[in-house]
Amino acid sequence: MSESDATPNVGLKVDAEVCMGIGQCEMLEPEVFELDDLGIAQVHAGSVVSHARALELIDRCPSGAITIDEEAT
Amino acid sequence: MIDLADPGIYSNGIPQDVFADLRGRQGLHRNEGPDQFWSVTRHGDLIDVSRDTTTFSSEVGHIQIYDIDPDALDARASMIDLDPPIHTVLRRLVSSAFTPRHVQDYREAIRARVVDCLDRFEADGGGDWVHAVAAPVPIGVICDLMGVPEEDHEYMIELSDHLVAGTSSEPLSPDAYGNTTELRLLPFNSPAAHGISEYARKLGEERRARPTGDLMSKLIAAEVDGERLTDSQFTNFFRLMIFAGNETTRSAMAHLAVHVAEHPDQFDRVRTDPTLLETAAEEVIRYSSPILYFRRTVTADTELAGTPLAAGDKIVMWYAAANFDRSVFVDPLRFDVGRPKQPPNVAFGGGGAHFCLGASLARLELELLIEEIVARNLRFDLPSPPKFVDSNFVNGIEHLEVRLK
Ligand code: HEM
Ligand code: SF4
Repeated sequence: MSESDATPNVGLKVDAEVCMGIGQCEMLEPEVFELDDLGIAQVHAGSVVSHARALELIDRCPSGAITIDEEAT
Repeated sequence: MIDLADPGIYSNGIPQDVFADLRGRQGLHRNEGPDQFWSVTRHGDLIDVSRDTTTFSSEVGHIQIYDIDPDALDARASMIDLDPPIHTVLRRLVSSAFTPRHVQDYREAIRARVVDCLDRFEADGGGDWVHAVAAPVPIGVICDLMGVPEEDHEYMIELSDHLVAGTSSEPLSPDAYGNTTELRLLPFNSPAAHGISEYARKLGEERRARPTGDLMSKLIAAEVDGERLTDSQFTNFFRLMIFAGNETTRSAMAHLAVHVAEHPDQFDRVRTDPTLLETAAEEVIRYSSPILYFRRTVTADTELAGTPLAAGDKIVMWYAAANFDRSVFVDPLRFDVGRPKQPPNVAFGGGGAHFCLGASLARLELELLIEEIVARNLRFDLPSPPKFVDSNFVNGIEHLEVRLK
């Protein structure tokens, strides 16, 4: 969840074509991500994280599948 | 002139001076030996190549330095030497079993294997660490996941040893393991690959008749576009899993023992502060870089690090070089169990579609082994230096005599 109140919260999305189901996101932020039966990360509807945390999560996904969801932000 | 394809330059482990020199040069290094290829040695360049599967293909040519014929490529194809989209379809058949969350389910079973091996090792007062611990733990774990019964684990070790070490130890005769396939069609040109396929077929048939919930049961029933896997898709899948899950983790575990002997102070740190377990495991993996390289082939003219590349060029990503890039890792030759996890090392690949499927599993295995070693306060003495596998592809250790102090 939000770690810094200084930055606005943002939503995230996962590109299902790019996600390799490595599950790093789910481990770091289980409230936000959940892997489905195919091993593709899904984002829980309405979940947001701080902008700083979003950048970290984007960086930590080995596949580069996570981006900021402008529509959910 | 140095030929990076020459296995001889790895006979004492990673050639740090050679890689440091190449990292410091402009652009990419052109290897001018009998095999011509571009070498990627810097961390940032390696990540760029790994994440662009369109420009840098795993399917064209070969993922090892030497090229092989198209029919041989087809015959051995598994997810690791295929590009998306088929790569992704195959990978998703099993990927959910290997997520960080899911591998926690195997924790106690893995620990039991570690405890069992260490108990015996201690009772013997030491011995060949590779044979006693580093080999049996990973093969046991991956065989459990696949559904290979315990009594066949030795046979899997034997076969997968031949795949890489086949070039160095006693060479196999072409018809070993009942092989009738032309060697050039077999992975590592080894008849042992035939042995693995035969075994996979037999086990697959058993699981088709009586599914047991293991990965073999899943694969034999799996469908791609409404069709069952072909015989070669199925057997190549099994072979990849056994091989990838085994040789690499074994190598990291063998290197771990060398570090325990050489840096007891570092493991004392872990004992007093168990929060270091995770970074200690990661440091062992970085420092051992069990896979030295994988190759890609350029599909369209492009440029990397200022070097123009032409379609058809071979790009070799030296993980073992990027993991010691001093622009990314502070004091890279220092073995530091507290090294920050970010930026990540590239021992499991630089990210992208092929990032190691078993990374979370391997990390957990290493963590549990380190945890048991420090809990028992084991002290290692090496009477002789490690004997490295004769290979330009894996940074493996064949034998490691360890005495318990
Ligand atoms: C310390 C141990 C290990 C190391 C250093 C390692 C290293 C690697 C590397 C470098 C790659 C290629 C990455 C790329 O091309 O970007 C890879 C791929 C792979 N690894 Fe591992 N690995 C290890 C353990 C395991 C384990 C335990 C398994 C068991 C399932 C495994 C299964 C695989 C598979 C199936 C692939 C191919 C993935 C793909 O092409 O999508 N590895 N590994
Ligand atoms: S970390 Fe990236 S690749 Fe892994 S599951 Fe999450 S989104 Fe997918």
